[in-house]
Amino acid sequence: MSAEARRALVTLVIDGREVTVPQGATVYQAARSTGIDIPIFCYHDRMPPLGACRMCLVEVQKMPKLQTACTLEASEGMVVSTTSPAVRAAQESILELLLINHPLDCPICDKGGECPLQDQTFRYGPGRSRFVEAKRDYAKPISLGPLLALDRERCILCWRCVRFGEIIAGDDALKGFVRGFTSEIGTPLGLPVESKFIGNTIAICPVGALTSRIYRFRARPWDNEPVASTCAHCGVGCSVWLDVRGGEILRARAREEPEVNDVWLCDLGFFGHGYVAAGDRLTTPLVRREGRLYEASWDEALGLVAERLRSARERGPGRVAFLGGRRLSNEDASAAGRFFRDVVGTPHLDHRVDAPPDGASLGVSWGLRSSLDELGRGDVFVLVGCDITEEYPVLWLRIKAAIDRGASLVIVHAGRLEIRRHARCELLDRHDRLAPLVSALAAAVSGAVGAGSGAAARDDLVGEGATGDDLAAAARVIASGERVHVLLGRLALDGPAGRDLLRSADGLTRRVNGTLHIARGRGNDFGAQRFGLLPGEGGMDAPGILRGAAAGALDLLYVAGSDPATAVTDGAAWESARGGVGFLVVHEAFLSATAQAADVVLPVLVLPEKDGTITNLEGRTLTLRAAVKGPGQARADREIFDLLTARMGVAHGHGTVARIEPVAEPTAARGGASPPLILVIADRLFTQGSMTGRCRGLTDLAGTAHCLVHPADAARTGVTDLGLVELATEHASVIVQARVSDATLPGQVLVHRGYDGVPVHALVRWSPAPVGVEIWPIAPPGAPPGGGTP
Amino acid sequence: MTTEAAMPESVLLRWVRAEGMAEIEQYRRAGGYDAARRAATELTPDQVIEMVAASGLRGKGGAGFPAAQKWKFIPKAAPVKYVVVNGDEGEPGTFKDRTLIEGCPHLLVEGILIAAVTIGARKVYIYLRREFYRGRRLLEAAIAQAREAGYVGERIFGSDHAVEIVVHSGAGAYIAGEETALLESLEGRRAMPRQRPPFPAQAGLYQQPTLVQNVETLCHLPVIVGLGPDRYKELGPPALFSVSGAVARPGVYEAPLGVTLRSLIFEHAGGMRPGRRFKAAFPGGSSSVFLTEADLDVKMDPDSLRQAGTMLGSAAVIVMDDSADMVEVMARAVEFYRDESCGKCTPCREGTVWIAQIFERILHGRGRTEDLALLDSIAAGMTGTCFCPLGESVPPGLVASLRLFRDEYERRIAVGAVHVC
Amino acid sequence: MTERAREEIRRLAGLYEHRQSALLPALFVAQQEAGYLSPEVLESVAETLELPLTEVTSVASFYGLFYLEPVGRHVVHVCTNLSCMLNGCQRVLSRMQEVMGVRPGETTPDGRFSLRTAECLGACEEAPAVLVDEDRWAAVTPEEVEPLLDRYR
Ligand SMILES: Cc1cc2nc3c(=O)[nH]c(=O)nc-3n(C[C@H](O)[C@H](O)[C@H](O)COP(=O)(O)O)c2cc1C
Ligand code: SF4
Ligand code: FES
Repeated sequence: MSAEARRALVTLVIDGREVTVPQGATVYQAARSTGIDIPIFCYHDRMPPLGACRMCLVEVQKMPKLQTACTLEASEGMVVSTTSPAVRAAQESILELLLINHPLDCPICDKGGECPLQDQTFRYGPGRSRFVEAKRDYAKPISLGPLLALDRERCILCWRCVRFGEIIAGDDALKGFVRGFTSEIGTPLGLPVESKFIGNTIAICPVGALTSRIYRFRARPWDNEPVASTCAHCGVGCSVWLDVRGGEILRARAREEPEVNDVWLCDLGFFGHGYVAAGDRLTTPLVRREGRLYEASWDEALGLVAERLRSARERGPGRVAFLGGRRLSNEDASAAGRFFRDVVGTPHLDHRVDAPPDGASLGVSWGLRSSLDELGRGDVFVLVGCDITEEYPVLWLRIKAAIDRGASLVIVHAGRLEIRRHARCELLDRHDRLAPLVSALAAAVSGAVGAGSGAAARDDLVGEGATGDDLAAAARVIASGERVHVLLGRLALDGPAGRDLLRSADGLTRRVNGTLHIARGRGNDFGAQRFGLLPGEGGMDAPGILRGAAAGALDLLYVAGSDPATAVTDGAAWESARGGVGFLVVHEAFLSATAQAADVVLPVLVLPEKDGTITNLEGRTLTLRAAVKGPGQARADREIFDLLTARMGVAHGHGTVARIEPVAEPTAARGGASPPLILVIADRLFTQGSMTGRCRGLTDLAGTAHCLVHPADAARTGVTDLGLVELATEHASVIVQARVSDATLPGQVLVHRGYDGVPVHALVRWSPAPVGVEIWPIAPPGAPPGGGTP
Repeated sequence: MTTEAAMPESVLLRWVRAEGMAEIEQYRRAGGYDAARRAATELTPDQVIEMVAASGLRGKGGAGFPAAQKWKFIPKAAPVKYVVVNGDEGEPGTFKDRTLIEGCPHLLVEGILIAAVTIGARKVYIYLRREFYRGRRLLEAAIAQAREAGYVGERIFGSDHAVEIVVHSGAGAYIAGEETALLESLEGRRAMPRQRPPFPAQAGLYQQPTLVQNVETLCHLPVIVGLGPDRYKELGPPALFSVSGAVARPGVYEAPLGVTLRSLIFEHAGGMRPGRRFKAAFPGGSSSVFLTEADLDVKMDPDSLRQAGTMLGSAAVIVMDDSADMVEVMARAVEFYRDESCGKCTPCREGTVWIAQIFERILHGRGRTEDLALLDSIAAGMTGTCFCPLGESVPPGLVASLRLFRDEYERRIAVGAVHVC
Repeated sequence: MTERAREEIRRLAGLYEHRQSALLPALFVAQQEAGYLSPEVLESVAETLELPLTEVTSVASFYGLFYLEPVGRHVVHVCTNLSCMLNGCQRVLSRMQEVMGVRPGETTPDGRFSLRTAECLGACEEAPAVLVDEDRWAAVTPEEVEPLLDRYR
């Protein structure tokens, strides 16, 4: 809409009230703006009107028939009645028709108390039903996956859930089947719904037809106390309501925040709170004695930690290092930073526990370089090694909306993304060839920008999935953009030749005056970065700390807000670091792999138990509110640092930090031909980590760890779909389920991290060269899958 | 008595009834494709539109919208435009489009070419209902012949126009005949009607300006351009009527618009069967309001029928004689709409089921006296509240039948009551 | 689904501006080859046209002429709409049921015929009209039912 059109206004009369609205507004919107309520079911203000339920009929002077207010554009001089006898009669009819097959089981319905159908019936409904036939009778709710249940008889076929999948999420998760009065909402053959956004359909279903299998029957809405807070899982930082009852978070709902999540959440946000109330939370400090961890008092544990810190400090500066930050609040992070820098006196701090030493991640600051809102106004999006729906799902909704307004999506990846249908161009190549691919793309963009015509693309630079034509087409799309946003993801940054790739991507972005975003980091990594959990002067970064620890250069390693035992992307680095350091202190909510190896474990509160703030990937500060109390004696991280400070006394200032020679040299890149099959480790939204593995529903979605094998490689290696396979590198092997799929490319096996039972990082060492992997089948499909290590 | 053979002025059926009209040679020898050639090489689009406007041609698919007016809505400057031919012919009692296609597929191809060059569409899709297997074969052969002759494809008739024609099959859904549902279906989706505005002429297939036109409507074009609009009008203008049901000679008849119902039934279609009396007729398919004996002299044209409280629709005249059970007839009509409702909007989806259930009760001897008032009231609740005309098709006929044949309903209910006791 | 069918589907997709337009024709190609649209066939169509399986299945389920369950070698459609009803289609349908020994919507045990009722076939001048596979039969009488079915082995 042009600025001029935006300013154009129309004035109309609704129920005798004069209303002025911008041109293009509907009668429904006009009525709302003046406080007149028109009943609706199918209309949802984030989607274009459909006009299907016919509940919003109004009478308009000079129009022969009643009109649906949700679809009718307001025009100058229109005279509308929302309450005339004809309107009333129509509303009664529609409600009567909607109710003839509705079970009216409100007393046992989750939606009771927040159900538009119940409310409308109360206000507009006929007193009694004249319907004497038998109501539709379906077997009770069917489950559509671990999160979603559908009561078909309650469904009023408003199509909101279907259109959410088509218009907002773009995943076409739920659909209508059959037609007419036999129409049903669902999935093909009742298969589990495939979506990362299904919680939203539960939220917008105007009746109790779609309900959460996690929350079903657990509470009535009026019993819940809603707490306004922020989801801290992926880094987007969506605003949520945490509904609390009896000291437990029963459900999460989206809280409207136009500049971040609008009114949506992903399913990690909706269902990722179960871990808070998990039964195996740590409730008291643990101290190691004779090789075993015993419960201890805070006094004892803190005393021990303070003493060890003091003695390390006395041995000289820089004998202590701190790792972690992702799970800390801004306040915790800042307290940790102050404590280690000023009290302990060490520059060795880093939150980037999962970054490899030679990738590009350590050389850039993480996060977006524009606001989410500005990003949403882009006209070309280039995703480079960024699996957006697995990593920042709600960010995808913004990009999807931009695509619907005409923006183009270009995907550069080492496999097929689930959103590929929405892309204009897709450039695929094996993980170790992404860097040359991006460099060729950058060159082609330069050509396209310079010549304005077809870019010269060299076919030898692009492999498997992409051809020179694809490259030229993608370059033209990118060059034509006025607001180009390039999102560089972890797969690209941390992959082979990540630094070259970063340089090319940067060049490409500059060429079109675009914005380069570093789509790297989860949770509150961005707060940790901002509040100083980065190496100080002379300080070591995370891989350096691990190597230093292994080399005996550290007396004490302190971990908070992280689980390096599973997060470090080198299977040996953590083990040798632990082995080489005298004392390990860990803040944890669970007895994680890191905690199990600690000398002292201090039980901490998790984010939904704390007041404070976090920082999202665009650098915005967002508020956390303590929704529930923590278990036992668990404390906030910052409180622990305060207590330690009190016991430590202030540092005597920094001395010069001893230089630590790197010990474990990175495996030299094996020159020449790359191995026949390389291993790619990728992120996933639903995993079995220490938090997500404790959220009912999500664990089912995560399923068991699996790897993706291209059909060509499967045929060669005898791997069958859903069969168990052993994946072996020169370092270790794991057993996982195989999925044969062309979502990956020939020559690479893709496996997901985040399954604590299958430590895939054990398979790899930090290395700039691609890691070769062998794969062989060990059991046919149907054999019970399990995880295992050598 | 005038018979079909005695009507030499037949201008549409002439092509259909003649031998060998599926062959392009035969069709051309009879003057076929001359009109399209003129439209493509001699006449300007405006001239063609003026001819169509002067002819008074109205859409034959049911809505009766003036064809020229629709053509004028198509934005001239739009770079991509489509013609979509509505050959879904699903309206019960309608079979004229099939008759035209099977009898003379070239007539349709020629009509399409005239429309396409006039509005400037390069691509035409013919949405043909699936069950017209024979029609599809003939039509595809005709298009292939026309392509061979240089009438379809690039530079047709040596002009600068290019026209491609693709035949597309429906898959068994009456609602796909409704023009916006048809476009949805042609885009590979469930045939659910779209919100209007925007109208297809503004944003139709793939959101581009699209002319949706019925098969018969297009078949009139070669005649109009060929004879000139004045002569065409003098002939009636001519129209096709599908006459079926309880008549002696069911069939498609060409008669001047405004012919009386009596003439159609008793002259063209050979009257009632021996020993039977006329009872009622739908003048325009099962969604029109019945005409009874008193209405036999009503004129069969859109305006006269509207005045008579009913409509011409697609000119499907379904005739019932004194052996017809009007409750059963109405029940069957309602069942049709119930099964063919797309399910998008509440009143159509739920109203048709409810009404059908009441009919089922009545037909099975479990009717109640208050059901008649209930039927009336459900019909009222559906009137003017449905998303598209499919749902709106039910109330007029139902309400009229309750008024005109109330005794039959009451008898059913009374008899049923006896059975129940 | 055979590679030939996939080829044909890809060719069909080329006839339209958007490949989803080829969905209905593609489903017929698949149905003709496989007999009916089993979940696996639907999946193949979805894959070939690069459309979500949810969408493909949802669309297929909307239309009456897509068979989501197995059908007989010959599908018999008896029109039961008004004009045919006024011309005694009920008797033809009853006779069909007798001869085949199945009710509408069912398939004979030997897998030869599926019997279905149809809405108006657009052939009312030939009422009662019957469609067997792609052949239309005019003014069928109950007596003609048996010989007519005998033509289809
Ligand atoms: C439920 C419904 C079914 C329809 N079926 C058909 C049909 O089968 N054939 C047809 O030509 N028009 C049908 N129409 C009318 C079309 O919507 C549209 O008016 C017509 O294709 C326009 O072409 P015309 O102007 O040449 O008549 C139907 C309309 C409705 C509401
Ligand atoms: S399940 Fe709910 S949202 Fe979906 S169509 Fe039914 S009532 Fe609407
Ligand atoms: S809200 Fe307007 S028709 Fe549903």
